[in-house]
Amino acid sequence: MDNLRENTPELSKIKKENPFRVPENYFDDFSARLQMKIEAEKKVVPAPKNRIIQMLKPAIGLAASFVLIFMLVYWPLKTFSPKQVAENNDSIVIEEYDNENEYLNLLESIDENSFYALLDEPVKSVEFSDEELMSYINTNISEYEIYLGTDF
Amino acid sequence: MDFDDRGIIADLKQENKRDLAFHTLVNKYQERLYWHIRKIVMNHEDADDVLQNTFIKVWRSIDKFREESSLYTWLYRIATNESISFLNANKRRSFMPLNDVNEYLVKNLESDPYFEGDKIQFKLQEAILRLPEKQRLVFNMKYFDEMKYEDMSKVLDTSVGALKASYFHATKKIEEYLKSSD
Repeated sequence: MDNLRENTPELSKIKKENPFRVPENYFDDFSARLQMKIEAEKKVVPAPKNRIIQMLKPAIGLAASFVLIFMLVYWPLKTFSPKQVAENNDSIVIEEYDNENEYLNLLESIDENSFYALLDEPVKSVEFSDEELMSYINTNISEYEIYLGTDF
Repeated sequence: MDFDDRGIIADLKQENKRDLAFHTLVNKYQERLYWHIRKIVMNHEDADDVLQNTFIKVWRSIDKFREESSLYTWLYRIATNESISFLNANKRRSFMPLNDVNEYLVKNLESDPYFEGDKIQFKLQEAILRLPEKQRLVFNMKYFDEMKYEDMSKVLDTSVGALKASYFHATKKIEEYLKSSD
């Protein structure tokens, strides 16, 4: 304190008192006013949750109906439309050709009905002349393949 | 922590005694907190708002109070934060540049019907208002409230050394202001 007096002579001259005042009975009334606010606060506490749900109700309803429409209309249409089915099948075939067992997979990709229809078809004897055979070999099989297929 | 405070805290944690304990707490601390807030926001109406908000915050966060800290420093801490938030909200609302905040508080003081100090008291308040916010807080708490540095450290989350330095700078600036404006 003495140190303060030495270093701050001007400040030390000023009497240390509270220059502020409050309205009459302020502190007597404060507690009662606060109590009213606290009572209001007690009632308000659970409200925000409900209020948020109330506010969001129409939005939630709208969102739910959009989801329902999507599930019932858009998604089945998109998934089962003939174009989509064809695309899906194509992609399966493409994938399967890459496979080593392409023959087996090809058989599997033929649907049951067309498979039985093929079986029921009378077997036609295939006849072709030597020229036809030669031209087929010329166009479809390379010399190297012929060489590989020849038994010595 | 004094014996009374321990009793208040114990009762606040019991549902059936909470209302009465809170009433006791308000009666015990309302004046001290009011004057602390008033020196930060200056105006009586503002101080009244901030004091109410402070106690409402106390009511809401009773469960968060940790008993290792004293009730008195915890309450001061909430009151200080509420006062500073109030000033910051005012700054934002009126798009006030930082330097003008002190001018705004001086005007608040000039127009305050509940300021009854003489000319020299007004000049001292003016000098305090021209300090940076932290130094102003430290000066008021030390000079007027005569709070211990250790307690102040808990309220303001600042080391005792830094608080002593702030107080030293604050008194020096106030002394200069009082000399210059004679």
